[in-house]
Amino acid sequence: MKKRLRRSLWLRNMVEAYSFLLLWLIGFAMFMAVPLGKSFYYSFNKMMITKNGLVPDWTGLANFRRAFSTDVAFLPLLKNSVMSLLIQVPLILVFAMMAALLLNRNIIGRTFFRGVFFLPVIIASGAVLVEMLRLGAERMPLFTSSSLFLALMDIIPPDILEPLLVLADQLTLVMWDSGVQILIFLAGLQTISPSLYEAANMDGATKWESFWKITFPMITPMILVNTVFSIVNSFTSARNQMMTYIRTVVFQQNDYGYGAAIGWIYFVLAFVMIGLVFLIFRKSLTNTDGRR
Amino acid sequence: MKTLTAINKLGKNMVDNLEKFQHIGKRTHSLQYIFKRRTGELISKIFLYIVIIALSFVFLYPLLFLLAQSLMLPSDVSDSTVQWIPKQFDLTNYKLSWTALGGDPGRTYWNALQSSLYMSIGGALLQVFSCSLAGYALGRYRFPGYTIVMGLVLFSFLVPPQTLMVPLFQLFSGFGWINTFLPFVVPSAMGHGLKGALFVLIFIQFFHRLPSVLEEAARIDGASAFRTFWQIMLPLARPAMLVVFLFSVVWHWNDVFYSNLYLRLPKFYNLSQALGIFNGVGAAQFQAATVGLSNTQTIGAAPTILNQIMAASLLTILPMLIMYLFTQRYFVESVERTGIAGE
Repeated sequence: MKKRLRRSLWLRNMVEAYSFLLLWLIGFAMFMAVPLGKSFYYSFNKMMITKNGLVPDWTGLANFRRAFSTDVAFLPLLKNSVMSLLIQVPLILVFAMMAALLLNRNIIGRTFFRGVFFLPVIIASGAVLVEMLRLGAERMPLFTSSSLFLALMDIIPPDILEPLLVLADQLTLVMWDSGVQILIFLAGLQTISPSLYEAANMDGATKWESFWKITFPMITPMILVNTVFSIVNSFTSARNQMMTYIRTVVFQQNDYGYGAAIGWIYFVLAFVMIGLVFLIFRKSLTNTDGRR
Repeated sequence: MKTLTAINKLGKNMVDNLEKFQHIGKRTHSLQYIFKRRTGELISKIFLYIVIIALSFVFLYPLLFLLAQSLMLPSDVSDSTVQWIPKQFDLTNYKLSWTALGGDPGRTYWNALQSSLYMSIGGALLQVFSCSLAGYALGRYRFPGYTIVMGLVLFSFLVPPQTLMVPLFQLFSGFGWINTFLPFVVPSAMGHGLKGALFVLIFIQFFHRLPSVLEEAARIDGASAFRTFWQIMLPLARPAMLVVFLFSVVWHWNDVFYSNLYLRLPKFYNLSQALGIFNGVGAAQFQAATVGLSNTQTIGAAPTILNQIMAASLLTILPMLIMYLFTQRYFVESVERTGIAGE
């Protein structure tokens, strides 16, 4: 009797859960699983455009071979997007962390400053950002205004100065890109109980020490979240050239099979990177004691 | 009597000792010491404000840049004394970009705005609903297959849209949905669409942290699972719903990838796309005007079509800016309250 009751409860629990999930699971099948499988299949084919629509013609690994050997545009683009990820993600993390620490202090107009720091998420993304970059909006007048620039020209040889300026431009872009990450760090900082800092202070820890011994370990999960978010966010960023390239291949050269193949290469690369990130953070994730 | 004097003596002793201790205290808490510490604090505070205000400038810069550039006329651009504030207040750029933002002859800003609004508000509302359903199931229930479904959510968060582009386009064109809003709305209604998996994760996180007492009470009183969700849990999830709605609207609004994929004719373009083809004209002129100039020299040499584009850019994000002005508080607060950052 009891066993049957438990069994029916278990069944009810499961039915309820899956009825809530039903919509999402159908969506997953329609808009994720089937397209993913299809695009995997296409990547091994040459897609012929005929009167009956697209007809696949099995070519084996030809598309992948083309991507890594004959296509001159693809590999540099891939390298570029990986390199910019490797440079930008750490910069975003460091900057977002610093900004979150600043905004977490008790300052006048904290809400205002938080609002300001989040502003680029609203305005400096998508098409508008592309337009502004065309006009050179990322070059702050501080660096390019004539007097400072000329003064620097005298001291530093232009060969060194130019890359530095490029880095400075990158930095403004990084700052505009880190709105969501700042918020996530802020939310993480607020879960740390103040009593930990008090205890550390009593024991004579300096602020620097308590940052590395308390704040940093407590915030590692958010570093993971932010790293993954930054990587995933860069896929759909308007500045992602890979996206434009695949779109050109598909819609201007009408090469569906090849488009699917390079899409898959990009996906595998991204997946490996995210896997590496998880591997790095694996150990630090277990410790979440002392939260509020 | 004896005890009284003893107490008196003790008291006197204590007063003496107090003075003695105060003397020691004066060494560590002397005015000089306090003053030194206070100035240290003051200096660090001033430094903090300088840093934060300087950083705020970096973040406000795009907006100021757009505003200043969009008001400039050809005379201002060529005038080297004009850096930020144009000589006269003139809305010509806005008038010109108003019609150009339609993307197609016969359309104006209004048409593209409507297109953007339908897409982003419709998509956002449906995503709030559908993602909360999936998030509730994964946040509150433990059932066989939980790990698998959770893995699927994470997986769909990680798949780049580029990989799915070809089959999805095929699917929707098979349905005859190209150049309509259905490719945005239908996946959203099923908890997918633009960053749908992320929103599901937000809801999972939020529901996971709610106490189970209310839910249990509702169930004991005989409410069905769906009614418990609808009447008890969903109203509690208002902060999460708000953050999902706001982010979804903004991301839909700024997205160019999906819009360019599904809205292929200029007469259906939304604002971001219309801005994109506006730039096609501007880019050619810009190239022509700046040919042979180095990177640093091109600043300020821009022809006026670019000022029109800046006006168009400002018009494009204006609705979002207005929304942000009123909901700024929620963006920031709700991220904290939904516990996105939890574990």
